[in-house]
Amino acid sequence: MSDEKKVEAAPPKPPPPAGPPAPPPPKNPGMITFTVDGKEVIAAPGTNMVEAAKQVGVEIPYYCYHPRLTIAANCRMCLVESSGAPPGKLVPACQTAIGEGVAIKTDTQKVKDQQRSVMEFLLLNHPVDCSICDQAGECKLQDYYMRYDFKPSQLEGGKILRNKRKVLGDLVVLDQERCVLCTRCVRFMEEVAQAPQLGVFGRGSHEVIDVAPHFGKLESNYTGNIVDICPVGALLNRDFRFRARAWFLSAAPSVCTGCSRGCSTFTDFMGQDVYRYRPRENEAINKSWMCDEGRLSYKQINQNRVLHSVLGRGAEAKEAHPGEAVKYAAMKLKPLAGGVAVMASPVASNEDLLAGLAFARDVLKAKEIYVSGRPQGKADFFLMTADKNPNRKGLEWIAKAYGLAIKPFGDLTAALDAGSVKALFAIGADVPEADETFAKRTERLELFVVQATNATKVTAAANVVLATTSHVEDEGTFTQEAGITQRVRRAFPPKGAAQPSWKWAVDLALELGNEIKAMSSRDIFRSMSAAVPELKDFAWDKLAPMNQTRPGISTMAAGADGRPPGWREQGVPNMHGLSKPQET
Amino acid sequence: MSIFALDQIQAQLPEALAERYTDRAGEAWGVVRPEHIKAVATLLKERLGFRLFISMDAVDRLHLPPEQQEPRFEVVYFLKNIERNEHVRLKVLIAEGAEVPSIRAVFQGANWAERFVWDFYGVGFSGHGDLRRMLTYEEFKGHALRKDYPLRGRQPLIPEKPIRDIFRGPGTNGVQD
Amino acid sequence: MASGDEYDPTPSEDELEAHLQTRNMVINLGPSHPATHGTVRLRIELDGETIVSMDPEIGFLHRGFQKSCENVTWTQVLPYTDRLDYVAALANNFGYLTAVETLMGVQIPERADYIRVIGAELHRLASHLTTAGALALELGGFTAFLYALEARDLLTDRVTELTGARLTTSFGRIGGVNRDLPPGWVEKLTKTLNKVEELAAEVDALLTRNRIFTDRTRGTGVITKEDALDFGFTGPCLRACGVDYDVRKAKPYWAYSKLTFNTPTGNNGDNFDRYYLRVLEIKESLSMVRQCLVQMQPGPVMIDDWRITLPPKEDVYGSIEGVIAHFKLVMEGVPVPVGEVYHSTESPNGELGWYLRSDGTGRPYKCHVRAPGFQILAGLKRMCEGRMLADLIPTFDTINMIGGEVEQ
Repeated sequence: MSDEKKVEAAPPKPPPPAGPPAPPPPKNPGMITFTVDGKEVIAAPGTNMVEAAKQVGVEIPYYCYHPRLTIAANCRMCLVESSGAPPGKLVPACQTAIGEGVAIKTDTQKVKDQQRSVMEFLLLNHPVDCSICDQAGECKLQDYYMRYDFKPSQLEGGKILRNKRKVLGDLVVLDQERCVLCTRCVRFMEEVAQAPQLGVFGRGSHEVIDVAPHFGKLESNYTGNIVDICPVGALLNRDFRFRARAWFLSAAPSVCTGCSRGCSTFTDFMGQDVYRYRPRENEAINKSWMCDEGRLSYKQINQNRVLHSVLGRGAEAKEAHPGEAVKYAAMKLKPLAGGVAVMASPVASNEDLLAGLAFARDVLKAKEIYVSGRPQGKADFFLMTADKNPNRKGLEWIAKAYGLAIKPFGDLTAALDAGSVKALFAIGADVPEADETFAKRTERLELFVVQATNATKVTAAANVVLATTSHVEDEGTFTQEAGITQRVRRAFPPKGAAQPSWKWAVDLALELGNEIKAMSSRDIFRSMSAAVPELKDFAWDKLAPMNQTRPGISTMAAGADGRPPGWREQGVPNMHGLSKPQET
Repeated sequence: MSIFALDQIQAQLPEALAERYTDRAGEAWGVVRPEHIKAVATLLKERLGFRLFISMDAVDRLHLPPEQQEPRFEVVYFLKNIERNEHVRLKVLIAEGAEVPSIRAVFQGANWAERFVWDFYGVGFSGHGDLRRMLTYEEFKGHALRKDYPLRGRQPLIPEKPIRDIFRGPGTNGVQD
Repeated sequence: MASGDEYDPTPSEDELEAHLQTRNMVINLGPSHPATHGTVRLRIELDGETIVSMDPEIGFLHRGFQKSCENVTWTQVLPYTDRLDYVAALANNFGYLTAVETLMGVQIPERADYIRVIGAELHRLASHLTTAGALALELGGFTAFLYALEARDLLTDRVTELTGARLTTSFGRIGGVNRDLPPGWVEKLTKTLNKVEELAAEVDALLTRNRIFTDRTRGTGVITKEDALDFGFTGPCLRACGVDYDVRKAKPYWAYSKLTFNTPTGNNGDNFDRYYLRVLEIKESLSMVRQCLVQMQPGPVMIDDWRITLPPKEDVYGSIEGVIAHFKLVMEGVPVPVGEVYHSTESPNGELGWYLRSDGTGRPYKCHVRAPGFQILAGLKRMCEGRMLADLIPTFDTINMIGGEVEQ
């Protein structure tokens, strides 16, 4: 009857279930803004908390994290409190990406307790080895212990014993007891060295790092890097082991001269001996790595050096001091000027070549130079190049700028065999063929003057050997194969009576009547690089990397009395205003 | 300590105090502008009763973090008020080569202290009148406590001074005769 | 009568003055001179016996204390501090350590406080005895000197048993004191103190009412209160002028607030007051050491924090934590936080102030020692100019200038 009237309005539809409120728009669009210990940080999305905290100077400790390797998050040292975490839980800062508006705290009691506990557990089975461990002085366990856990041990009973000197490869020895199983080495070998030969074996407290069973030992050209990245003294460099304590060594930033890649290095030296190379971080060239062959190339600076100039061949050879050698060489070169072949080695630095080739062009009146250098070798997939000479590009640029034709080595050997060359002036004694063969070729020369750092058969065959410094004994630059010029800092004053190559050129030029005004390699570069278009804009002073320091070590130059620096004789280190200690 | 002194300086010589801060041990420091240090010292001595001259020294900031390296030197002053039993700690920041006005006329004890700072840091004091080296000899080259003076720095050998009126014994002529 | 014929030997006024053309004589007192202790060269211009002007030249004992300190760790500075005031090495050691502890903000155990008081007071006794004795020596009274040194030698024996060295003790570490009192030492010390008291009384009896002594020291080497404050005198030299300023009372540190002692003051600021003040202070020091021996309770003498103090040897050899802590503390030094501090203690000569600056590494950035002797020696000129040369000797003694601290 009255159905039409009683059309009940449909009950109002309930509103759609409310979802989470829309997140507020980011404070800095495109970047993420968040707080660390109350300080605001703005960073790109995807940055993890450790890197972001570094921006405001907050240091979060870690062992297993490495910016160039994948994240493992197994050490648990970097745990911090985060407002975005589940309640009561700490998050690993290396693994967690930053979030908009998140506040993290690294200095609360909870975080401190966590850091202390992690340290305690790591040290539980760690052998009492500091006195004999090579890593002492550069060991993260030591540093973090003093900062985050300074309590005595609560261990009752013995520590687990494992293999203490397992040789993993030609360069690496593993002490399994010291290992904290951060797995940096495993990840490195797999990702960077492309040779996944290491692995973690065993379970629980008996886990050990070892070479995978079907490899006998590590076969890779990059095994030295796992020694660098190991935060403790588990993986050690067999070549460096027990030779020097880290705090006695000073570090001079330098470049590896093993091949044309020109990896940035630190030269670790004490007194006037080089003990090892370590890679220096350089995003453009070698990231944080170095190959093993380059690592071992430091031996040439120590071994078999020509420290005193030698006049005469064979039986009449006698040592002479620099002034004498210059006079003798000049006297011999004077009548032959115009007919002297000049051989330049691309192992010499830019300053050496600037001065040497200027001398060749202006005094010796040479029109072309022959390029010598070390023989070609193997290249690999990553850093090592086939060209084993560090400065070929520099040599080419300089020769071109000076108007000197570059002739290959084959032309020189042909000329020597044909007898059309009477005299040879060589900057650098490295030759791309066997030393003996070349020495034989030079027997018929009237005059063979060579500037050499190491004694070889070639130097034995020379009339005048001018003792030359290596690249760590003088400031200079090298240009690597991609055209990047790098500055090399001086580690220690020249050994023996050696002089830098440019200085020989300056002295000879002066003796022969053509003055090159220069008191240092800096003067050489400043006055002569203007002629070379690729080098003239290089900021020689500004781009010199600062000397790296480490606690207890100073790298200031020798005292006013000119004695070579030992660690005690140097003044207080300039710890601040330097590049931050690089990632290891 | 002595917030009282710093408050008074701030009240009576407002342009003199550049900064005030508290150090780790909870003591108050005042950073005084170099041109006003003499007026501040006079004020402290004559009117505020800080009559005991405790000490004066300098710090070379060359090896501090870069933001703290300019100006290069800090000259620190310590004075004491015995009646109130308070020390006042003042600091003057001065660049290399610049001179701080001397407070020798205010405190006689500053005479030797300023000579000491000149000797070891090379910070000059204008109006001192007798600024010579204190603990090293006149011919000493350089300023020994500067951070760039090497720890084992050597000095050139100084030739013996000719002393004319000494008879050195029969047969000797002295250095110069 | 015929006076013109007789020869009259009495010269007339003009004749007396006429041909005497005098000139002031410049002499050198020092740097090595039997009557001055410490190497100081006093270039004195004399008019007869009166000192017209005096120019002290120091620097013969400058050994580069501050420069050395900047290049070693905080703990390694300690042996350098011994050699500052080498008569009272413990006072220097403990003064430096307390300044570092203030900078770090650590509190040392109570027993360590008492041991520091005992050590400092023993060396105060030694220093005052030496001063009084040397004063007597220079004025010709050798006996008093020998009595004083005998007392000092007994004290040195006790200090040797405690620290291991007679003179350069290097006792104490940041965070307390490295060794507790040896067994039986307290009894020996009590006997020594009694003997020292007797000997000090002998010295007092020989000198204080001695006519020659008082004639030479009363009224000589006078300095007014205003000048003393102006120059920066502290300690016995200032208290002799009547200013009651003793850091132990003004800003008590260690256990001084728990001890009862007086700080006598003088009136005239002359040599006698400075000497007699020291005699009275000897009595006070003896009483203070006795009080300490009564009040001390057994307990730890070093704080137990491995960031500051070396771990015990069993831990160093037996646990990795111990060896790490030991290694880092020795190689890098105690991590003193960034900052600066000025802290002073009362050494036998006056206020020994330390201005320490840390840059966060294990080495001091700046280690300025405010040596009491430096300012007092600056005032020597004022005390001696216009007076007689002979008064210079007792003055130089009573100011107790120790070359080591003045010239660092």
